[in-house]
Amino acid sequence: MTTHTVTISNRDGATFEVDARRPLLDTLREQGVDLPFGCKYGGCITCAAKLKTGTVDQRRQVALNNRQIANGYVILCVARATSDITLDIGVESHDKLYRNPFLDPLKPHELKADIATPKEG
Amino acid sequence: MDGACCGPGYASPQEAIQAPREKLLYTIAIYTGTGIQKPDYLATVDVDPESPTYSQVIHRLEMPGIGDELHHMGWNACSSCHDDGSMSRKYLILPGVRSNKLHIVDTATDPRAPRLHKVVDGAEIKAKADLSGPHTVHCLGSEIIISFLGDAKGEAPGGYLHLDKEFNIVGRWENSMGDIKFGYDFWYQPRHNVMVSSEWAAPNTFMPGFDLEEVGHLKYGRELHFWDFEKREPIESFYLGEDGLLPLEVKFHHDPDSTHGFCGAALSTNVIHWWKDSDDAWKWEKIIDVENEMHPEWPIPLPGVMSAILISMDDKYLYLNNWLHGDMRQYDISDPHNPKLTGQVFMGGLLGKAPIVNGVEVAGGPQMFQLSLDGRRLYVTTSLFSTWDNQFYPEIREKGGVMVMIDCDPENGGMKINEDFIVDFGKEPNGPSRCHESRYPGGDCTSDIWL
Ligand code: FES
Repeated sequence: MTTHTVTISNRDGATFEVDARRPLLDTLREQGVDLPFGCKYGGCITCAAKLKTGTVDQRRQVALNNRQIANGYVILCVARATSDITLDIGVESHDKLYRNPFLDPLKPHELKADIATPKEG
Repeated sequence: MDGACCGPGYASPQEAIQAPREKLLYTIAIYTGTGIQKPDYLATVDVDPESPTYSQVIHRLEMPGIGDELHHMGWNACSSCHDDGSMSRKYLILPGVRSNKLHIVDTATDPRAPRLHKVVDGAEIKAKADLSGPHTVHCLGSEIIISFLGDAKGEAPGGYLHLDKEFNIVGRWENSMGDIKFGYDFWYQPRHNVMVSSEWAAPNTFMPGFDLEEVGHLKYGRELHFWDFEKREPIESFYLGEDGLLPLEVKFHHDPDSTHGFCGAALSTNVIHWWKDSDDAWKWEKIIDVENEMHPEWPIPLPGVMSAILISMDDKYLYLNNWLHGDMRQYDISDPHNPKLTGQVFMGGLLGKAPIVNGVEVAGGPQMFQLSLDGRRLYVTTSLFSTWDNQFYPEIREKGGVMVMIDCDPENGGMKINEDFIVDFGKEPNGPSRCHESRYPGGDCTSDIWL
């Protein structure tokens, strides 16, 4: 079994070993980390966390737009670690997740993947 | 049948108006999305001015799990069962939009302290009916119908779950969704064999939050659908276009003979009126158009966001909210083609017109509301949906929601905030929560349909 180390920076740097093939939400909750979740299929954003270092595979998520992804957000219920990673978890990590759409519109390349157009230039 | 009959509710809207004044009110309150890892709950609010605990939360029924996002609710029985002595308005059904669970709550054994009767498992609903994202609950006779906005994977249009009176899953209620793209709210008028349904978006679109740009990409609805109610299939759709972006709440007149109904198009901030014309065809028109407002610092004009509408039991007044502007309005719709603005009050909102109400700082704006059967008291709450709250009113995390009462004048029109009533959900024992839809034990202005 391939494992990676997850460090949670806003839980005093606690570390956990996780199975690379399983969603982070499941493996972290099994080890006692209290995490919010809803749909568990990557659609509702409840479980979003912020990736600070490392990489994940979260191709199955449909909740995040490209700006949220560029800001480091990952959807734990479908994301799998592809390296050792560091996360901020919970609502404290959501500072850039929510945005007033009238104050701060998205650019075409920042929309969700299925409707985004490539960045120009 | 007259008012001496045996079943739940009232023989007619006129009889409902004469019912005793409400003393208790139930509202859901959520922690989902707030960062507080506690269950959402059903709060009982004391609304009896003679009581020492008036204007306070007197009981909290916590749900068994965390993260449901309780939202709307509905009764197991209403006036449509008035002639059926075997039925009673005993159970309140509380769907969890995110968890897909249906919580069946017994409010009759002890109305002040409701208790959990049963939970219909969200996974079972997905497996048996391929539905997720529950929203509106209505009953018809002893049957219960609930709109769901998505399939088991959160894709539109979802459909309707049919429960029997013991809350067992019968299956899908509808025979066909036709060409309907999205689901949301619905209301029916059995004497005309018609149901009208509206459109929000797929759960995968609205749950993560609101991207305005997705409206242009047709990820949000702009149509109303008319159904053959007995055949359980849509027969006609109205494309509302720019006048009907995000058509959310639909309400028929309470008068069971009327064909007039109304829909609030949230983003366009318009009221759409429909009726059956003398040529027997359904017609629609826009009757109210709330202008966008400019916010001094923002690049895009701000729509009101009319997320709810309500019709008084005498069918004389329509109430609407502008969640972002911060005002509640009352229109006289005696002539439904020509509404007249008769009342307006501000509470919260982004325009800064009423940041404090009765000493409480209001985070959010007027959002859901429930009117007393006699039309004199309108209870208004401030939270819309956790992720949308977090976008537009991030301070609601610390401040929580509030419930305000507006005194309404059903004779002459007019509305005024009641100075003796306010429930501050920012002061709840487990931390700030957010209140949303409300219901009264004896029925209210958004529950009952007459056969
Ligand atoms: S739990 Fe819904 S996106 Fe992860």
